[in-house]
Amino acid sequence: MTNSSYLKPATIALHTGYRPESDYGSRAVPIYQTTSYAFDSVNQASSLFNVEQGGHIYSRISNPTVAVLEQRLAALEGGSGAICTASGMSALFATFITLCSAGDHIVSSEQIYGSTATTLRHTLKRFGVTTDFINVNDPVALKNAIKPNTKIVFCESISNPGMQVSNLPQISEIANKLGVPVIVDATFATPSLNRPLEHGANIVVHSVTKWIGGHGAAIGGCIIDGGNFDWGNGRFPEMTEPYAPFHGMKFWEEFGPTAFVMKIRSEAMRDLGAALSPHNAFLILQGVETLELRMQKHVANTVALREWLAEQDGVTWVRHPEIDAEPHIAQMFPKGAGSMLCFGVIGGRAGGAAFINTVSLASHLANVGDSRTLVLHPGSTTHSRLTKDAMEAAGISEDLIRVSVGLEDIKDIQADFAKGLKAAKRAAG
Amino acid sequence: MDLTINKAPVYVATGGKDFNSDLPTVLFLHGSGGDHRTWALQTRWFAYHGYSVLAPDLPGHSLSGGEAFVSIEESGPWLSNFLKAAGVKAAHVVGHSQGFLSALELAKAAPEKLLSLTAVGTAAAIPVNQALIDTAKASSAKAAHMMCNWGFGPGAHMGISSVPGMQPIAISRAIMSRNPLAADLQACADYKVGAEIAASLDIPSHCILASADKMTPIKSGLALAESMGVTPTIIEGYGHMLPLEAPKKTLAALRAFIEPVQSKRAAA
Repeated sequence: MTNSSYLKPATIALHTGYRPESDYGSRAVPIYQTTSYAFDSVNQASSLFNVEQGGHIYSRISNPTVAVLEQRLAALEGGSGAICTASGMSALFATFITLCSAGDHIVSSEQIYGSTATTLRHTLKRFGVTTDFINVNDPVALKNAIKPNTKIVFCESISNPGMQVSNLPQISEIANKLGVPVIVDATFATPSLNRPLEHGANIVVHSVTKWIGGHGAAIGGCIIDGGNFDWGNGRFPEMTEPYAPFHGMKFWEEFGPTAFVMKIRSEAMRDLGAALSPHNAFLILQGVETLELRMQKHVANTVALREWLAEQDGVTWVRHPEIDAEPHIAQMFPKGAGSMLCFGVIGGRAGGAAFINTVSLASHLANVGDSRTLVLHPGSTTHSRLTKDAMEAAGISEDLIRVSVGLEDIKDIQADFAKGLKAAKRAAG
Repeated sequence: MDLTINKAPVYVATGGKDFNSDLPTVLFLHGSGGDHRTWALQTRWFAYHGYSVLAPDLPGHSLSGGEAFVSIEESGPWLSNFLKAAGVKAAHVVGHSQGFLSALELAKAAPEKLLSLTAVGTAAAIPVNQALIDTAKASSAKAAHMMCNWGFGPGAHMGISSVPGMQPIAISRAIMSRNPLAADLQACADYKVGAEIAASLDIPSHCILASADKMTPIKSGLALAESMGVTPTIIEGYGHMLPLEAPKKTLAALRAFIEPVQSKRAAA
């Protein structure tokens, strides 16, 4: 059960947002592969454009298949509404530009995904939006970082790649008291393991490409409005002042708990054009339907693998949010803190490369959250041009292997990793 | 639009257009714990099709100041003052749930100010379980959780929404959780004279009822319609929160009733 629904999450994942009521009674959600929707009449057309009624006009703005995914994800997170986008990064960009204008400020966790950090540090800066990066779990640093022009406190519930768990109850209490919404990228957690809105956050963003889609088949993003933030607190003219392109509509007055997603639908989807394709929405819906089951297996495999790794020769350390966990982690993640783990392999950079070159069941690629086990050695790929010191400054050691634990039988994963560790030991001499 | 009534600020939604008291006016009254957003998908149509719209947040609710009414009887004189402050001599009045009880009190206090009256998802009396009132006294959020479970019909519980991507149950819970539900529910529970006033109405009236209404069951709604001498519009398969759950059907029923009444007035 969430704020949006009295059904349990496993039921929401299968049913919410769709009833078989088309002419053909399609039990699966149909793919509405269309750009646009025929109007019944001039009156109906004008009423849709004038927001006198809900409905679909053009698939850049909304689409029936995508809407099912949106309503399902809103319900799973307990939000008042959701909007899907072409990717997780476009979901974040739409979120940032909806709330920030030139001269505004963002406080971000320093432990976030590299592309998001680049967007904040470089792209938004060109448009006059500045970001300070801090340890968001430090309450004093967070209080001190929030300025009168701060519009967003941003963090990841489990950070990528550092796997720091943001203390959402504490962060939300501080930020909301100062009139600033907390926006959480919850990609690594999924609503199956943690719902940030229940811990005081205000907006949740996902790359649904990852565990929510779950099969590595489609790129997509989603933004969920918690409906729990007072946009009328004087800090957000973007939400309270008349919006000229919609006859002077004031989103907060008009829509209240869905003001934020309605603003995104009206503005960012028009301007960015980063719509999720209906076919991708369908593929992602197939993943959503089994999310609860898959996350249980992902977590079980992760626990088993991390315990096994800790006992292996050739493994120098293992990192996962539940190892040496702070109290807020157990509170936020009673069903397990995700299926990402890192470990150090003997032999440093050469040992890491040998491990990667030897494993064969695990896929070597730059993605996470697939049904299959994925591995990456930043020291020989994404961070290969950096010196050892520069890598350590980024929190990444030369021997680090990142693992997105998949759904294979754990014995097969362990056997594959054993071969990789043997190769790493050989490389280490 | 912002007005001041009894020294308290009152927020009034006008359907996205500036209010013009020269046009026929439709006054929309929300139910317990609600606000003007109950009517978001009805008010804009009227405002853009020849009517002026007033959808206030009643005192103590959402964007309005002041204190919530402690009795339904208080709302009659308040609404009369409200229409006067808006420069409206008479309006078509539409009330959802508790909003209809307030409309009855307006009809009692100032019958000349009603051009017509439409009851939406309601009855002449709205008895409220004492446990729900006690819960609301402790926590509007907990009471909102209970009310939305009962208040919404099967479609909303399956996450069906006429507006893409939205979750009507969560929207209602968010609004109700911040509003004075306990006062509203107590006022409903204490109100006993609705049937008498409804039976004495001498204006064009209508009832729009929901077949799956658990808050004000259809049986009570039908009894109200009978006492008002009207044939109700029954919207099949929806629950108590008709304006949010079935916005198009609710709007169609409102138009089917109000437009002919207004046309007849214009022709007279």
